[in-house]
Amino acid sequence: MATQTPPRPAKPAGAATPEGTHRSEDDPNVLLQDDYAFYEPIPPYPPRTEREAEFYTLGDGEMFLNMGPQHPSTHGVLRVVLKLDGERVVDIDPVLGYLHRGVEKLVENADYHQTISQVDPLEYISSLFCEWAPVTAYEKLLDVEVPRRAEYIRVLSGELNRIASHALFLGWFALDLGGLTPILWSFIERDEIVEMLAALTGQRMLFNYFRIGGVNGDLNHEFMSRLGDWMSRAVGQLEAGMGLLNENEIFVRRASGLGIVDSETALRFCMTGANLRATGVPFDVRRAHPYSIYPEIEFDIPTRTEGDSLARYLVRMEEVKQSLRIIDQCLEQMPDGPIMAKLPRLLRPRPGRAWAAVEGPRGMYGAYAISDGTDQPFRLKIHDPSFIHLQAVGALLPGNLLADTMAIMASLDPIMGGVDK
Amino acid sequence: MDRALARRLDARFEGVLHGPAKQRHDQTEVRIGAGDVQQVLTALHDEPELNFTMLADLAGVDTGTEMQVVYHLWSSSTSDWLRVIVEGLSRDDPRIPSVTYLWPGAEWMERETYDMFGITFEGNRDLRRIYMPPDYTSFPLRKDFYLPDDAARSPGAGVRHVERTHSPVDAAPGVLRRTGA
Repeated sequence: MATQTPPRPAKPAGAATPEGTHRSEDDPNVLLQDDYAFYEPIPPYPPRTEREAEFYTLGDGEMFLNMGPQHPSTHGVLRVVLKLDGERVVDIDPVLGYLHRGVEKLVENADYHQTISQVDPLEYISSLFCEWAPVTAYEKLLDVEVPRRAEYIRVLSGELNRIASHALFLGWFALDLGGLTPILWSFIERDEIVEMLAALTGQRMLFNYFRIGGVNGDLNHEFMSRLGDWMSRAVGQLEAGMGLLNENEIFVRRASGLGIVDSETALRFCMTGANLRATGVPFDVRRAHPYSIYPEIEFDIPTRTEGDSLARYLVRMEEVKQSLRIIDQCLEQMPDGPIMAKLPRLLRPRPGRAWAAVEGPRGMYGAYAISDGTDQPFRLKIHDPSFIHLQAVGALLPGNLLADTMAIMASLDPIMGGVDK
Repeated sequence: MDRALARRLDARFEGVLHGPAKQRHDQTEVRIGAGDVQQVLTALHDEPELNFTMLADLAGVDTGTEMQVVYHLWSSSTSDWLRVIVEGLSRDDPRIPSVTYLWPGAEWMERETYDMFGITFEGNRDLRRIYMPPDYTSFPLRKDFYLPDDAARSPGAGVRHVERTHSPVDAAPGVLRRTGA
């Protein structure tokens, strides 16, 4: 968190500015202070909004602390300005944009199929769900029916990806609470799943696997043998990893009562997924608004009522068990048939609008697509749960200790690639 | 498709909606003007027979002639997603009331829409840029913001006709044009 001042560009000749200031390179109308260090917590210009003025005014005995953007436990490149009173956090101001790629603009300037590879790196540890939402929205625009086998393969690979993501969550969460072992254990499972998805899709992380109207490749021998091998010992392995934490008194006492949120507040903060279900609201897009073949599959929606970090952790671990159930049923009921709908190479959907949402490991992924009749999407809005949950950190954090900042943030499980789009 | 929902909405918001509710797939779509946002969304959120407690998404849209703000809502009372399109915002100075008093979680979504489209949400207490640097002056997702490396105006233009569909008629080659702040 040490700050270092980068070399300041020389003042352009002829541009007279008041003493101690220089003009912004981006916007010459903005004056910046000369002695401003790049990562100082306080911005070099007067507050622009009511909230910013309130945040950047220090009360009695309060101080600012800058965390990030290179902090190891921010789960990506995130800067958080903390307002502290002693060891207690009074308020936070997250600063985003370090990973902003402008995906929505890139998608508008490419054809429909190219969207899939653009949205892959959003939430890079659960890429299949990032593909699933826009692909479903495009299918609604095109009125195309996806073959049943393709839907089964989507659910099968998606649930595997969900387990891989939750396994990583288990590791990171424990790491942020100070336990080093679980991340080593969870990476074993995660690596096994990632290898089998690589056999199916050809990629370990950014799968680029779903297609508009189906999937890219059929199930193959290597994937099936790896999957069968893993399924026979998955339950035991995962239970061992969870047992390491669930029965650890230090972990349980540290995580319970941390970052409590009630169901009313969670709904008002637009939270979804496990974070919402940990407050007692049984909202799961797979059941609340069924898509794909989920209506044909039996599974439960685990909920808890405490709404604290421990509840969020436990709900996710229950979901892993439900995912294993879904995979079992997929393998049992997998039909034969084609894996792609018959579609032309160049897609030109009729003008219209479509919204699609899927339940990812972090919450509801959504995509809102508008077609104007050409071969490029007119607009694609991507709704990312990490963005919403990172915002909720600001509501959960005040009053907690500085050391709990990252623990609470980790329990909400945001991924900065998705936050910054 | 929930026909009853469309009938209910048409009856409840008679005179406010621009035309009857449209339905396609699992979505119901209504269009309103910027002046009716608070009235309609508060009713959708608070009235027990509508009960749209969940704001699924908030998106800005630049149609090229006007700005729109699109809300997607979810309710346990219907099997449809509800899409509320606020249309007819001017491109020069788009203004719309904020919905943060109903959903505080809309604050960042409104900041994002402001950052990308320049739509001002009146009543949002923290309307600053969220992704782009604070001294940035353009609104990148507007339709008159062209990518500097846009393939349509590259030397290879004409090789693939598909990439030319969005190329503007009067675009100067290789010039990044920006809108005013």
